[in-house]
Amino acid sequence: MRLVWSEELPATSIADHFADVTRPAISQHLGVLKEAGLVSERRDGTRRLYRARQDEVRKLLEELDRYWTAGLERLRDASEAAQHATDVEREKGTSDDRART
Amino acid sequence: MTELVREIVIDATPETIWPFLTEPDKHVQWLGTVAEIDPRPGGTYRVKVGDRHQSGGEYVEVVPLEKVVFTFGWDEPNHPIPAGSTTVEISLHPEGTKTRVRLVHRGLPADAIDDHGHGWAHYLERLATVGEGGDAGPDVAPDQ
Repeated sequence: MRLVWSEELPATSIADHFADVTRPAISQHLGVLKEAGLVSERRDGTRRLYRARQDEVRKLLEELDRYWTAGLERLRDASEAAQHATDVEREKGTSDDRART
Repeated sequence: MTELVREIVIDATPETIWPFLTEPDKHVQWLGTVAEIDPRPGGTYRVKVGDRHQSGGEYVEVVPLEKVVFTFGWDEPNHPIPAGSTTVEISLHPEGTKTRVRLVHRGLPADAIDDHGHGWAHYLERLATVGEGGDAGPDVAPDQ
């Protein structure tokens, strides 16, 4: 993603950056990213050029951020309600003890 | 490596918060409509959100009252974050009578964003503002 973030590159130059990874594996990775909508592919003669779809990546992260932020806020509300119930219960217990003595 | 970090301070003890992370019926009170969770290493993490979005992964580490770590993604064809492809860590840090809950989401397909100075810095600044009791105002996406 970093390689194709701000420039369009052919699959061959992307593969050159990964000495340990085979060409078919690189093509497969690019295919997955393309399917997922995170990179775009353009044909120029026999070459295929790839570029990151920055807006799609950002959109994905913003959605995820909203997902966790909203989740944590709900976790806070639910936990505080449970804590309050526990505290009330405990206080009632103490005052009952006091009433008995 | 890009990380999504979110924190929230809760006026409750870790003992009170912990069941919300580990018990299905309590989990759905804050996240998901169906929670199929087995919080032990290798156990299932499947939380359905709304009526169709299915998240999935498995637990990696569970330390009672301290933290849960699980892999996370979406069980949908061609989703950019497939089930189990990223890792989420939720940890509890007692602060007096309150607890700071920290969520770190790692392994996101977003390394490039940090390289270019956009993205999370914006949200961390907002977090610092609200964390200190201030008002970060409505969220507007960072300039591109």
